[in-house]
Amino acid sequence: MKLTVDGLPVYFPYEFIYPEQFAYMLELKRTLDAKGHGVLEMPSGTGKTVSLLSLIVAYQKVHPEEVSKLIYCSRTVPEIEKVMMELKKLVLYYNKETNTPSDLLALALSSRKNLCIHPEVKSLRLGKEVDGKCHSLTASYVRKNRSTDPTVPICSFFEEFDANGREVPMPAGVYNLQDIKEFAQRHNWCPYFLARYTLSHANVVVYSYHYLLDPKIADLVSREISKKAVVVFDEAHNIDNVCIDSLSVNINRRMLDRCSNNIEMLQSTIEKIKETDAMKLREEYQRMVEGLMEASVARETDVYMANPILPDDILKETVPGSIRTGEHFVGFLKRFVEYLKSRLRVNHVQAESPLAFLKELYDKVCIERKPLRFCAERLRCLLRTLEVANIIDLSPLTLICNFATLVSTYTKGFTLIIEPFEDKTPTISNPVLRFSCLDASIAIKPVFDRFQTVIITSGTLSPLDMYPKILDFRPVTIASFSMTLARTCLCPIIVGRGNDQVTMTSKFETREDIAVIRNYGTLLLELSGVVPDGIVCFFTSYMYMESIVASWYEQGILENIQRNKLIFIETQDGAETSMALEKYQEACENGRGAILLSVARGKVSEGIDFVHHYGRAVIMFGMPYVYTQSRILKARLEYLRDQFQIRENDFLTFDAMRHAAQCVGRAIRGKTDYGVMVFADKRYSRADKRGKLPRWIQEHITDGSLNLTIDEAVHISKHFLKLMAQPFSRDDQLGLSLLTLEQLQSEDMLRRIEQIAHQS
Amino acid sequence: MGTSSEEVLLMVGHVRFRKQDGCLYLMDSRLAWAPHGQERFLLSLPYAEIRAQKISPDGKAKVQLQLVLHSGEAVTLHFAGDGDSAKKDRDGVKELLQQLLPRFRNQANRQLEEKNRMLQDDPVLFDLYKELVVGKVISADEFWSNRTSEPGAGAVVPGAKQNVGVSAAFLADVKPQADGCNGLRYNLTADIIESVFRTYPAVRQKYTEHVPGLLSEAEFWTQFFQSHYFHRDRTATSTQDIFSECAQQDNKELLNVIGQDVVKPQLDLNNMDDAALEEGYGIAGLPASAGSRGSRESSNSAIIRRFNHHSAMVLSAGRPDRQTSGENGEEPNGADETQAPSKRVCPATSAGDYVDLEETVQSCAVSLNLMKADRYHHGPVPLLSQHYCTGDEIMAAISALHQEMAEYRPRLAQALTSKAAGQAIAALSPGGSMMQEVGQIPADLLAGPTERQELRQLYLGLSELLRHFWACFPISSLALQDKVIRMKGNLERFETTKIKVFEDKLAKSQQNGNLTNHLREMLTVAYRKFHTWQAKQSAKSS
Repeated sequence: MKLTVDGLPVYFPYEFIYPEQFAYMLELKRTLDAKGHGVLEMPSGTGKTVSLLSLIVAYQKVHPEEVSKLIYCSRTVPEIEKVMMELKKLVLYYNKETNTPSDLLALALSSRKNLCIHPEVKSLRLGKEVDGKCHSLTASYVRKNRSTDPTVPICSFFEEFDANGREVPMPAGVYNLQDIKEFAQRHNWCPYFLARYTLSHANVVVYSYHYLLDPKIADLVSREISKKAVVVFDEAHNIDNVCIDSLSVNINRRMLDRCSNNIEMLQSTIEKIKETDAMKLREEYQRMVEGLMEASVARETDVYMANPILPDDILKETVPGSIRTGEHFVGFLKRFVEYLKSRLRVNHVQAESPLAFLKELYDKVCIERKPLRFCAERLRCLLRTLEVANIIDLSPLTLICNFATLVSTYTKGFTLIIEPFEDKTPTISNPVLRFSCLDASIAIKPVFDRFQTVIITSGTLSPLDMYPKILDFRPVTIASFSMTLARTCLCPIIVGRGNDQVTMTSKFETREDIAVIRNYGTLLLELSGVVPDGIVCFFTSYMYMESIVASWYEQGILENIQRNKLIFIETQDGAETSMALEKYQEACENGRGAILLSVARGKVSEGIDFVHHYGRAVIMFGMPYVYTQSRILKARLEYLRDQFQIRENDFLTFDAMRHAAQCVGRAIRGKTDYGVMVFADKRYSRADKRGKLPRWIQEHITDGSLNLTIDEAVHISKHFLKLMAQPFSRDDQLGLSLLTLEQLQSEDMLRRIEQIAHQS
Repeated sequence: MGTSSEEVLLMVGHVRFRKQDGCLYLMDSRLAWAPHGQERFLLSLPYAEIRAQKISPDGKAKVQLQLVLHSGEAVTLHFAGDGDSAKKDRDGVKELLQQLLPRFRNQANRQLEEKNRMLQDDPVLFDLYKELVVGKVISADEFWSNRTSEPGAGAVVPGAKQNVGVSAAFLADVKPQADGCNGLRYNLTADIIESVFRTYPAVRQKYTEHVPGLLSEAEFWTQFFQSHYFHRDRTATSTQDIFSECAQQDNKELLNVIGQDVVKPQLDLNNMDDAALEEGYGIAGLPASAGSRGSRESSNSAIIRRFNHHSAMVLSAGRPDRQTSGENGEEPNGADETQAPSKRVCPATSAGDYVDLEETVQSCAVSLNLMKADRYHHGPVPLLSQHYCTGDEIMAAISALHQEMAEYRPRLAQALTSKAAGQAIAALSPGGSMMQEVGQIPADLLAGPTERQELRQLYLGLSELLRHFWACFPISSLALQDKVIRMKGNLERFETTKIKVFEDKLAKSQQNGNLTNHLREMLTVAYRKFHTWQAKQSAKSS
């Protein structure tokens, strides 16, 4: 249907629309108009993606000089594919309505692993290996050698692309990963480099967070993107962790040992080259003196990993004299690695600031801060000069250099912790040096500064004011949309007591209590007899799940559950879990019914949807607090308190509740879907916890569904499921939670839509 | 001899059977034995008939192998080679049989089930069976010998075979009970054993390998319950445990399955992240170093792995075999599910998850293909013997009838002339040319209800026997020759044990004796036929 959103004509590729979608578009339009950032929360399954796409594409059409590009960031490959599908649908609709082929160019970008068509390279499967192999076939020196020695293997697809691929831009259209591959295959071009090249002039780009947030990749891929772009982070409830991950480094002893090997290897290569081709090294030195390190137009294929720090923080100076020659630099690295080794030989935990680390480094081994800052850059330069074939073997050394650059660049918002052993196994020595970012705003700051509009959106962003605080930005719109429902299709209940009135909670003091474990078991057992098809359960941690499963097994609870449904359990191995998931779905399909035991914060809770009969009930056993004894967490909490005035408890509860909401939200993926959400912990009943759940869940928690016993919970679920199983047709929804164009245009409805958005 | 088409898998000389020296052949589908120097097999046993094999203990002087048949008979084979070779021969035969028998066991069971079902479905047949087989007139084999070949009795009977799934908790049903003297009793039923076998093929393998030879059945199951294999939380494996191999096999299988690609990309957790952080980056950090996990945890994770494996196996045990699923259409409740999975996933995977936003809601759901709607609504009901018509059928029949009637046109041209019709009626009337031997009084006036019932039984039994008898002619082979002689004996036995007794009873109750005239007449005809054949035979041989 063709809508008018606040004066803007929008093509919406469906015949009907949810009221909240319209409200969402209104807010979005306001954000774009104001050229500011926005935080928007709307439940999953209400069509966020299509609303975002149709509004922003329409905006681009009308105001091409204000918004030139949409960058849509999602988390996983399946989600990227989903976005592309929606986009295809939208473009089809445009073509149909306007009767002219759309000139929109949209493409998805992924890593080489998913895009490579070189038969030998793509068979490697592991992302790192694919990247390395690709590099060894396409680096500029390899290709130069090829011109003198035709036996040197190169990638024909890249050559073909390099020769012809840049002349004509890709024809307009929507290209998902498969489409790009097919298009490139037809021309014998490399799809990966084609996509990266096309990125700069495409209207819509869909890729994963890392391409914008991780400086190591972002600088390679996203540097040339125009500033007049709208950036959307979908499923952004975990964005702070992505930011932190992209600037953190861990080093253990094994890594350092491999690093020493790397250094020896480099040393011998330098020796060899000195004998055969001393010119090369001298040239490099000369370039350094002149400060032209990067002047030799870094070819896109040569750079495997860009600087680990943000572009603004890179020093625009010449490389200091102490590391200009290759031998000196290698010696320098050797000293640094030996120092790190000595630091790992501690018997007690040490925590220090980067400044203290640098000072001690200077005192002990006379390494200054400035050359340290150039480490990453200098290493890349050296590797290019030495023409190292397999760059992957050198990843430990790259890691150390990245660490060196990071630790010497950032003095604030980071912490350095050396732990001689893991907390769980204090007898086994396994020293780790953790250099951890504490401030999520550091990595995302350039994005906010550079692009005029950044939208952060997800189904679960409550409490909404937290994100602007921890990401340190000032949004122009903050809104949460509730789900309009013709029937209450979600049934959140809080079960706080067993039938024996013993409090159920995963609180640290009582979590190993046999009565609690038994009550949790009884809850699952009882529900397994009432709920049809699939039940998904989430535990607070993997360790906790293991111990509960073991005691349920000993008590015979699992055997009784097996009478009702099959049991599948998430493991720490991805492949094994994938198989379990598939079997789980099969069991739900064929009517046997199954239970999936899984972990909050795990891969299942983040990436897998349990639509319809795959999840008729979700049980959240306990509150998924993060492991609070972790030193990094403690440091981060302290930092948040000092810098952003966020109380520790507030942040911890916020973090636990967003994960709980994520977990239970897995089961409701639309208005026709339905499911029971069981929060099995007494603490959820408290207003300060409950209040941090997303609005669309919160508003369905009545006083009658607080602190129930198991029996009451089973009774309520039974009633609810019976009600929901009745036929549900469109007519039931029309006018309430589903609108036609006429209905949408009525005054009354517009007034109601205004109320859907809750500004905080 | 028909052996040319069969493949001989194993041939063993010096095998004695009924004190005669001969040669034993193990073929594709049967086991056969022929005396030395003869072409003819004196013993021929299809594997499906063999229930079990037993061997003589090692210490015994005679090296023997006994085959127990489903019919309860036993066949003993004596291996008469010199010294060790006899034992080696015997073990060779045993091994091969061990592999072969399980393959045919199902077939045998299926046949038994089939027969059972036929008897339950057909009360007349059941009576007959009681009369003839239970009454020891003919053997069960003979009774079935030309039944099973009848058309319609095979696998095409609708709803013949259903694949019944395995309960997920079948191991939980084996409740150990303390027997009071420091021991445990496990109650095993055939169902549970079948479930174990279907879920854990490795155990079935062990069973067939060990049970007739090395262990008794009870010992086998005792070991099973003692093994770590049953106790999923034990990780220590002792070497003498025969099931330790099973566990390894399972693990290997598990890894195999994991090694394969996950079919649905949206479930592939390992390839979910686009650009995963490299080792060393990020706060989550490095993979836990090996050995850092205590034994307690590893036993816990063993439980978890076993549960996943168990559930997967149960699921696959319940899955209909791919090749048969096409044939057996009927699923529980008559709903056809075999085609469902591929279609039902579509709401989850299609582009728009928002079906309700689309203009026309395409119904993605699979329509339930009900073979018996009543069973779906009311659950399965015990089969009733009378034919059951649903309302729809009756309505359809009525309307069909109406139509027939409306369209009815007598085709007088093809009718008989009235004269011919009159003659036919006259001939078929009592006393007419074709009805001379029939008494004019209807049978129900002649005898009371009990007699009539018995007479009916007699007719049924005799006609069955006669059917067997007449089926032998023309006699073209030795087997038929044997059979016809046997059948004649059967007929005579039937005459003396059944008909005679009945006649005596009639005589005692002062009733009309010629009720059995027709029976006797049929017998006489059969005897006459037999005698002429015999006379010819003796004339030929002399």
